[in-house]
Amino acid sequence: MDADEVDAQIRTLAAERRLPASHLARWLAMDHPSRAAMLEIARTLRLRTGQLVTALDTLEEIAVREHINVAAILDHPEIRRIAHRAGSAPSRASAFLEALRALRYPLLKKTQDELRAEVSALKLPRGISLDLPKDLGSDEVTVSLRVRSGAELARALEALDQKRAGLTRIIEMLGGKK
Amino acid sequence: MKFELDRVFIEDGCARSPLATRVLRALPPEIPVTYVADAREITRPESGAADPFGAGKRRLVIVNRKTPFLMPCPAGSSKFACCGYLVLTLASNCPMDCSYCFLQEYLADNPAFQVYANYTDSFDELDRLVANARGRSFRVGTGELADSLAFDSLTCVNHDLIEFFVARENLTLELKTKTDEIENLLDVDPRGRVLVSWTLSPDAVYRSSEHRTASPAQRIAAARAVLDAGYRVAFHFDPLIAYSGAERDYLQLIDELLDNIPPKQISFISMGGLRMTPRLRGAARGRFPNDPMLCGEDVIASDGRFRTFTPLRLSLYRALAERFKKAGAEIPAYLCMEPASVHEHVFGAVPARPATIGERLARG
Repeated sequence: MDADEVDAQIRTLAAERRLPASHLARWLAMDHPSRAAMLEIARTLRLRTGQLVTALDTLEEIAVREHINVAAILDHPEIRRIAHRAGSAPSRASAFLEALRALRYPLLKKTQDELRAEVSALKLPRGISLDLPKDLGSDEVTVSLRVRSGAELARALEALDQKRAGLTRIIEMLGGKK
Repeated sequence: MKFELDRVFIEDGCARSPLATRVLRALPPEIPVTYVADAREITRPESGAADPFGAGKRRLVIVNRKTPFLMPCPAGSSKFACCGYLVLTLASNCPMDCSYCFLQEYLADNPAFQVYANYTDSFDELDRLVANARGRSFRVGTGELADSLAFDSLTCVNHDLIEFFVARENLTLELKTKTDEIENLLDVDPRGRVLVSWTLSPDAVYRSSEHRTASPAQRIAAARAVLDAGYRVAFHFDPLIAYSGAERDYLQLIDELLDNIPPKQISFISMGGLRMTPRLRGAARGRFPNDPMLCGEDVIASDGRFRTFTPLRLSLYRALAERFKKAGAEIPAYLCMEPASVHEHVFGAVPARPATIGERLARG
């Protein structure tokens, strides 16, 4: 497909999806391979308006940070695997955005995985839960107890106290301790 | 004058002020000067300009300030453990153009570079402050809404300012800068009452984001020169940007700093992670779409600002604090716009009250 044809198809898709003009302009401002690769994935995964907006924003940020073009990002093995695997378009679209987010926030993803593993390793008993801050945007953890009697409360507090070292470690990890 | 101007506007009421006289004397002859009855319209964004904020930086407006000069630091909040810094606004906006600068949002509606002809009126405010708080010490800086030194070769404000501060033992002046424009400081005796502080960033940040500033090496050399001339010096690692390789680069920068400035002669350091309101982030990315430093792993924090996600940001603070600690001198340090719990994570202790920190930093 030549550049004019790609641009025409991008405009058609943008009109169908009511893509904001600013995002259409940024899409059209990409180099030709990137414009075409984005068009292909948008078609393959049948991206909805919000998904297109998120994808364009995220791709642009990755491209600026990594000094690569959008076509190179979309050529990443994980992205290609998602685009071409079996499954419904909506589930693949969702997985595509998740994969883009992992590329955009690699250290956040790694740290979240490590912290979730720590929380899981605590093996907190039923009735006690620990929630990490959304996107690790603060150093605050929420510990919740669900009890129905004084005896349950005593048991929960005792169980929590036994997990003190692990809880402290999670709080320290949130506080930047390696 | 190292920085370029397109035009100078002088409001009628201050046409004969000493400041206007000095500016006119030092101004290159090719820069047009216009006298206006009311400069308010001139200070607003230039309609039709591709970059109204950038254009504002090149328009110097000499006006009288009609609101108080002295105010608490605008970054202050009860949510944060603050440093008790007081801001003296003698100018507004900056000829340099850092991609992350908060002025892009703060001064979006009046971006012209304003200098206040009636700046000596601020001395009355300062005297009232001291009179109303006997025995207390204050650190007062001019580098919040403008760079303290950038245009001093033109305005020569700092000479008067330093003369005022050296005569008042409860006041410490902080001149905050990213320049090496120190010539005017070297022929004044600061008598220990004046701090000159530099924002320091690794070369990668300087090259990518800090347009028209002095290089990190030039800033450190300038710090050495003013230290030798009797000034106190301090350094702000703010914004701290968590790009790939940041920790290595910041530690290297600290080593370069400590090779030139003995730790015992550093009055304090501050650190503050890059933080941006959504509006500022939009403005910054709009003006600097290709700056990778604006595309870090930032998430919405509990204060509504985009910040590097917490463990990464705090691990960077910890690494820097540890390196300074290893240098052997207990350099006073604080974090800017961070809550007390973050101070506790980084320094291992709950911070003192803002007033106490402010007093400590002022006294040195």
